[in-house]
This record gives sequence, structure tokens and C-alpha cells, in this order.
Amino acid sequence: MLDAIDKDLLKMVADLEGLPKGAFNIRKNGKLLKREVSANINIESNADGSGIVVTIKPGTINESVHIPVILSQAGLYDVVYNNFIIGEGSDVTIIAGCGIHCGSLEPEGHAGIHEFRVGKGAKVKYVEKHYASGPGRGRRTLNPTTKVFLEAGATAEMELTQIGGVDEANRTNEATLGPDSLLLITERVLTEGNQKAVSANTIILAGAGSRANMVSRSVIKGDSEQDFYATMEALAPCFGHIECDAIIMDNGRNDTVPSLKARHPDAALTHEASIGKIASDQLMKLMSLGLTYDEAVNRIIQGFLK
Amino acid sequence: MLELKDLYFSVSGRNIIDGMNYTFEKGKFYSITGPNGSGKTTLAKLVMGINQVSSGSISFQGKEISSLSITERAREGIAYSFQQPARFKGITFRDLLSMAAGTDDEEMLLALLRRVGICSLSFLDNPVDAKLSGGEIKKIELATTIARNPKLAIYDEPDTGIDLWTIQPMVRLLKREQKEHGTTTVVVSHNRAFLEAADIVLMISEGKLVYKGDLKGALPMLNDLSVCNYRKCVGDKDVGCYR
Repeated sequence: MLDAIDKDLLKMVADLEGLPKGAFNIRKNGKLLKREVSANINIESNADGSGIVVTIKPGTINESVHIPVILSQAGLYDVVYNNFIIGEGSDVTIIAGCGIHCGSLEPEGHAGIHEFRVGKGAKVKYVEKHYASGPGRGRRTLNPTTKVFLEAGATAEMELTQIGGVDEANRTNEATLGPDSLLLITERVLTEGNQKAVSANTIILAGAGSRANMVSRSVIKGDSEQDFYATMEALAPCFGHIECDAIIMDNGRNDTVPSLKARHPDAALTHEASIGKIASDQLMKLMSLGLTYDEAVNRIIQGFLK
Repeated sequence: MLELKDLYFSVSGRNIIDGMNYTFEKGKFYSITGPNGSGKTTLAKLVMGINQVSSGSISFQGKEISSLSITERAREGIAYSFQQPARFKGITFRDLLSMAAGTDDEEMLLALLRRVGICSLSFLDNPVDAKLSGGEIKKIELATTIARNPKLAIYDEPDTGIDLWTIQPMVRLLKREQKEHGTTTVVVSHNRAFLEAADIVLMISEGKLVYKGDLKGALPMLNDLSVCNYRKCVGDKDVGCYR
């Protein structure tokens, strides 16, 4: 059922050696490949068949659900709409991700539109990796969208990673935070060659006592380009922070635009942003430990994107 | 074991290191002192390869090293502790210590912590980032230098950011390393504790070696140098400002 390419892609995007345990839904070339549900986690196709609805029962603790997408069909641009309903008081991990294997001159792409409704006091960790490989020269595109709605006291921790091989990516992240809710987003993107990536983020701190922290780490190699936009808008007493760092190598180009909007006098919003080459003192330190210049660069980049 | 011959380092035609000749003996503890801007750190950086010599030679254990890279000098057995250690994002003390020691074996790393007197094991997984205090990052810097098991260890102002109560234990640590591992130790410092610990005190003024000997002999010169050596930089071409 899973061929060697599928297994390689699943390993890269979801750390899976084969089929996962527990609830999962694997989508291959725009179609369902395999699905399992569990006692607390239900997965069903949505009404028009364009995606899935994952429903997690209230109080579900320490369970996970894998929903990887793999593409290896030339010329296919797969669009999927997935909804996640996280029940009150639950604590779960969702592992998503898309792997593209391109073997021809024809383009391949995927757009995953994910909407999360996280119930009162619930916690969700969402891990998403994007990766593309293969000998083909067709353009590989990944355009993910995540929309998050946090109810009172809910927590969402999101790790969004693009680890290589993707020619074009347009990411949109939107979140609305209820009272005393917490949103943590860490985004890591590496581009090289002539790749382009854009990440546009809008976080609305609507509830009193809500908190959000967005961390973005970008490495821009070769002639690649990355743009990062992040807006935090505070409508209540809340705390929000944006930290965006970009390392430029070769002829890389980067726009980083953090934006803070306070619409309440008790809002506390901060940001820190940096763009630059690898600091020479970091390189010299690692070289003084016996690493070559190239080894030092690799270790610094690995750590930065870790 | 380390020989400097007719060593010059110049910026814009001005000699920052001005014709230095000296031979460091194996296993000895040296303290280099002198006024701010006299060329102490520049000299230390020339030995490590962080700055490149303008002319002259540096030989280490009989081998000319002045054209070698930092990496090659590190592999020859020279270790360097930076005055302002680098801070990273996503690299932990464990990562740096593993790189320095060439192993990620837990037992060996713990043995290194005991050797340098760091008691808290949780410290090992701390990121070496901007959140660390000045004292903490200097301890990490010292530990990674010692973890190299160097033949020659250079410490540039190791007491910067260290509290008064930690300086004596630090001096004892470096002396112990000298004694137990035969490490030739060079400490750039203004701190009397390091000058007292040294077998030989070297004093540098205006890029020249002006004194070599014990601390007692150095004290009158140190007193003289401590006054009236403040000067104003004159424009961005004033090489004195780069010292």
C-alpha cells in the first residue's frame, strides 16, 4: 500500500516509519489512502468530500492524530479543507504535514486549509512539516492556511516547518484568542536556489488575559526570497510578542514586517526583529572548537532552525 | 612552545603590535597585562588566528602557524576563551561542550562539568543565548576551552562579568589545569588575582612588550601606566581606537 516514495515522504513530514498507531488519515494524490479512528477521536469526510472533519471528544488526554498528505502525481494541485473540533478540557497532538515527490517537468502542489476550534480549557499541539523532493524539475508549491479559534482558557501550540525543496509557498495563519487563552506559534522556513516563501500572520487578541507569542526563524540561501508579515491586534487587556529572525546567506532577500495594533489601553504588545548574516563571533567560536567554516555554518543553521 | 618573532599587526599603517619577540615555555602560567588599548587582546587574537599577522612569525611547537586558519590552530591544540563570548539561538551548552570535547557521551560530559566545577546538571541543557547572565556565559566559555584539552589555553579577560566570589575559584581551576594537564596558560587580565597566580607577568604598552618577569617587578610600572592613559579618539581613522 505504501511504496518507497510514500514511506520516505511520511518519514520526512510526520516522522512515521509506516502506518501510525491511533487515529490517522493519510491522503495521497488527492484521495483517501487509509483512515483509522479511535474511541475518542473521530475522522470523517466533510459533506462535499473536499476534506475531513476531526472531532476530539471533551476530556481526551494524551492522544494524537496523524493527518499527513503525500503527493507524487505529476500535474496535480490538491486542495483540501480540514476542520478540527477539539473538545473541552482535552489535551491532544495533531501531526500534519505535506510531502511532495516530483518526478517530472509538470508542477505539483497542495493547499491545506485547516480550521481549528479549540474548546474551553483544551490544549492542542499542532505540528506541521512541509517538504518536497524528487528528480523532476516541475514547480512544487505548498500554500497552507490555518485558522485558529481559541475559547476561554484554551491553548494552542503550533510548530510550522518548511524544511526544503519547496519552490513556492504562500502561508496564511489567522488566530482569534478568547479570554485567558494562549497561542504559541513557531515557524521555521528554509529556502534556497530560486525558491520563494511568504508567510502572512494575523493574530487577534480578543479576550481579556489572552496571550500570544509568535516566533519566526528564516534561513534564506542562494537567490531565494522570503517575506514575513505578522500583525498582532489587541482588543482587550492582553500580552502579545512577535520575534522574527532571518539569516541571509549568498544573495538571499528578505522582508520582515511585524505590526502591532493596540485597541485597548491595557494591551501589552512587543516585537523584536533581526535580519543579517551569521554573526562572525558565532563562526569564530565554533571554529575555535575545531569545526571548519562550513561545519560551523551548518551547526549554527541547524540550531537556529531547531 | 610558542614563539613570536618580529611580530607586527598594523591597521592603516599604524602598528598595533609593534615588533614583538617572545617565547612562551611549555606548562607555564602567563598573565598579560597593560593599559586599555595596549594590544593585549590583539596579540591573543593573532595567536589564535582571529587576526592575521601583518609580518613576522608565530611558531607553535616548532611549526609555523601564522598562515593557518582558526580551525587548524584549534586542531593543533590551541584553545581560546573569548572576552565577549558569542551567544546563539538554538544551541545549548551541551551542544557546545560536545563540539569542544568531540563526544556527546553523557558520562564524559558530566565528568567535564565536574572538572570545571559546574554542579548544576540542568545547566547543561540551557541555551547559550541572550538570556544567560554575563557570569554564566563566561563559565560556559571557560568550560568549552578546558574541554578541548588544549596544549595552549588563551583566556581573554576571563573575569569579565564574574562576581568577586568566583574569581579565586576560577584562578584555582586554571592553576589546577596547568598542573594536572600541563596546559600552557595565557591569561589576558587586569585582575590582580590572575597576576599573582602567574609564573610570569608580561606587560604590553603601545604594542610593545615592555616587561617580563614576576609581579613584584611589574608593580611600579603598573602604577605608572594606570594614570594619564585616557585619550580621545580622533575620527574614525584613528587606529588607536581599534585596539
